[in-house]
Amino acid sequence: MTPANSNPHHWSRIRETGSAAGIRTMVWIRRRLGRLPFQFMLTLVIVYYYIAHGLHRRASHTYLKRLWRYRHGHEPRHLTWLSLRHFRSFGQSLMDKIDAWSGIPPRLHFSNGSHQRFVDAVASGRGGLMFVSHVGNMEICTAMSDMLEDFRATLLMHTHNARQFDAVLARSAHRDNPPEIIEVSEITPSTAMRLGSRIAEGGFVVIAADRVPISDSGRARTLSFLGHPARFPEGPFWLASLLRCPVYTIGCFREKDGYRVDFDPFDDTSELSRHRREAWIADAMQRYVAWLTRQCESTPLQWFNFFPFWLDCDDTHPRESQESERPAA
Amino acid sequence: MTTAALENELKQTIIETLELEDVTPEDIDPDEPLFVEGLGLDSIDALELGLALQKRYGITLESDAESSRQHFANLKSLAALVESRREK
Repeated sequence: MTPANSNPHHWSRIRETGSAAGIRTMVWIRRRLGRLPFQFMLTLVIVYYYIAHGLHRRASHTYLKRLWRYRHGHEPRHLTWLSLRHFRSFGQSLMDKIDAWSGIPPRLHFSNGSHQRFVDAVASGRGGLMFVSHVGNMEICTAMSDMLEDFRATLLMHTHNARQFDAVLARSAHRDNPPEIIEVSEITPSTAMRLGSRIAEGGFVVIAADRVPISDSGRARTLSFLGHPARFPEGPFWLASLLRCPVYTIGCFREKDGYRVDFDPFDDTSELSRHRREAWIADAMQRYVAWLTRQCESTPLQWFNFFPFWLDCDDTHPRESQESERPAA
Repeated sequence: MTTAALENELKQTIIETLELEDVTPEDIDPDEPLFVEGLGLDSIDALELGLALQKRYGITLESDAESSRQHFANLKSLAALVESRREK
């Protein structure tokens, strides 16, 4: 495996490009000066970052080339232009995120049947686990707790990610019913017990399964994603199998006017026996990657993993991965 | 419930939850480490055991890796945890 402390390009090592002060300035411009000056500023900032941050630029190029080759059989014709739009889409999502956390409700609409599935899942009272990804804007999902009173979300976040948000959120969070955030660097029995009790109360645990954890003990598996080997964490899938509950996937994607929410059943681990667990995890990880691939295909520019994602990226020197049977969680 | 009775109940829970077919309650020494040494349970077993205790006794813990390690050290510490925190 490629533990965070030996890989300088692990996502957790990469300082978020965009200081708290910078983000606050942009929020201020958007709120006080309006949309047009904001769009103008955002474009300038994006061009600057595109030029100044080679690591993110190369990561974006690699992703776009691989997606295009996978989907269309050739590389994109205007890579720079496409990548700039990719960056811009990320900048836009940061702003939307802050709005959502500040209690400004995003305009959401559910894709076909998603709304009914979501309402039914909440009404069942059984709670569940929701897999999300860094495609689209997962924070928007949590804003749904404002729309449906009975929907209680608990976000399981890597400590590192949560910290980055704090500085900005401390000033912009005014929500009455914010989602609970549990910061973890590893999943301990106490974390599992807390999550278990949330689900027992009918709540939903939201967890991203497309980034390998920070701690060395977290295990990962190599799977083919867009035709190239990439590491995916086992932890979220172990958790899903141990929590014995309904499992869903949820994605929020920006469209012209507002966000589209896709909510789908993924599986149900309530009756999963111990001896079938390993097989379930292997299968579930494959299905998660297939779901992730579909998301990238439908919204190519909303892939927000701006770091070397694959083991065979040209600009990293990954170590030979080592498969593990069981994670140290 | 007496401590001895609770310890026995916990032994049964451990054996049933983790499907330890070759282990009898007598095999579990209350002072022996449950994990790595002793019964040789791993961290996934710890998560599973934690969830079983949460379901059965309604226990939750503050999220702290160190206290988690202490509570799950051996059967005695686990029994003490259940005794002090149980809600059902």
